[in-house]
Amino acid sequence: MANVWKIARKSNAQLPLVIVIALAIVLVLLGKAQSGLLDRARVHITDMMAPVLQTVRAPVAGFDRWMGSVTEIFSVYQQNLKLKEENARLRQWRNVAIVLQGRVGRYQTLLHAVPDPQMNAVLARVIGRANRPFLQTMILDAGREHHALPGQAVVDARGMIGRIYLTGSRTSWVILLTDLNSRIPVTIAASSGNSGNIQAMMTGDNSAYPTIDMVSHTVTLHDGDQVTSSGDGGLLPSGLPIGTVAGDGRGGWRVALLADPGASQDVEILNFSKPPETPPATAQLPVEAAGLKPQALQPPPLPAPVVATPTPPKTVPKPISKPETAATDAPAADVDR
Amino acid sequence: MASLERANSAPRPRVLVALVPVLCGLTCVFIANIPVSILGGLVPSPLLALVPVYFWCLVRPDLMTPAVALTIGFAEDVMSGGPPGVWTLSLVLTYALVARRRDSFAGLSGLVAVLGFAAAAAFACAMAWAIVAALAFITPGLHLPPLAPILGELAMTVLFYAPTALVVGWLHHKLVGASRGDI
Repeated sequence: MANVWKIARKSNAQLPLVIVIALAIVLVLLGKAQSGLLDRARVHITDMMAPVLQTVRAPVAGFDRWMGSVTEIFSVYQQNLKLKEENARLRQWRNVAIVLQGRVGRYQTLLHAVPDPQMNAVLARVIGRANRPFLQTMILDAGREHHALPGQAVVDARGMIGRIYLTGSRTSWVILLTDLNSRIPVTIAASSGNSGNIQAMMTGDNSAYPTIDMVSHTVTLHDGDQVTSSGDGGLLPSGLPIGTVAGDGRGGWRVALLADPGASQDVEILNFSKPPETPPATAQLPVEAAGLKPQALQPPPLPAPVVATPTPPKTVPKPISKPETAATDAPAADVDR
Repeated sequence: MASLERANSAPRPRVLVALVPVLCGLTCVFIANIPVSILGGLVPSPLLALVPVYFWCLVRPDLMTPAVALTIGFAEDVMSGGPPGVWTLSLVLTYALVARRRDSFAGLSGLVAVLGFAAAAAFACAMAWAIVAALAFITPGLHLPPLAPILGELAMTVLFYAPTALVVGWLHHKLVGASRGDI
């Protein structure tokens, strides 16, 4: 074994080395100019590996669960107490949500609100994860055959995980929200309810907590503020839950994600295509829905010629009264907290 | 003058011998980039492709040429999914360093040999981080890559060096035979 490490004293490969280094630099520059340079090769390889990945997925997931249970078994009692407390709190919030849902439904009926765009979802299974220094991704078992397209949002039961950036015929690569190249326009709703929504950009830096780049530096954030997708640009639907604001201790703000990409097994790919928003017809204007007669709001008729006819009577608009439904269906208890 | 012969062994086809390092490197790339993450992605995968590059660069530089290092680095770029060219340039530069300091690296043994590989791996990871940082610097809106993931990759690469080097050494004895190429 010792003479394995004996070496050649000379090498005549110096000239190729210079050329090879130059080729590698050219490859870096080409990759910078055309980011999709190697994408086709990647998805072809992933498509070919898909059956193998699906086969090994179950034992790997089982091993992961077993490893997790080894550490969690010592805290089962504490977790049980915590879950009971959380369950009681969530039941209260469920009642609040039911009341609010009814109220929103009535408002939508009154306003003839334009409904949110319909989203089709493709259920996909996570068959692979890659945790490299410069890329955090997961691979799904749904591709172009399942109408998955680049740019579509990927969510699990808790919130948004990332978005698709490569699709093969049977597999898709997901760029996670924590990835270095992830930039998502978000809306931050203040948890105190005192201020309005804040627009910002959430940028991943390969840490577990993406950073928040503020669009406006005059606003202040607070721990616990809700972060959702803003939908700016039309690539992602608005209102997807993402996480909550958390301070980083150095004056900056980060996002504690709701979803856990490391534990997600089944996800949804949201097929979001924003339809053009058509304005409601004249007969569906909110004033009509609010109980006002259309005639009352029409402009008064032009005065007739003075000579030919007498002065028309003055039109007295009827007093605006609240619709009965809005008055009587209001919940007795104020549910805003 | 070539002076390495292995007694009791038949001469092996030159093409097969030349293919062993590149195939071994590509196999390491494939294994390291199988998108199966143990422990929920907490542990990064090691840079296994550096082991055959380092090993044959010291043992048989006539088999591990710069072109072979380029090929292995390119495969790493394709499979890893990162920015194109990062690992290619990083592995080629590491190859150049090891080839230039071949006497120093090859004279190491035991635990110090592991430290020698760790130095080469640290250089490779530092080069990769610097390239990505340079790309992020010229791209508006991108943050500098954090150091923790690349340090994790370095630690895993060094941790996996010993078992991988054992396999590579065994393959070298079985398939290549000669331990030194005199030119």
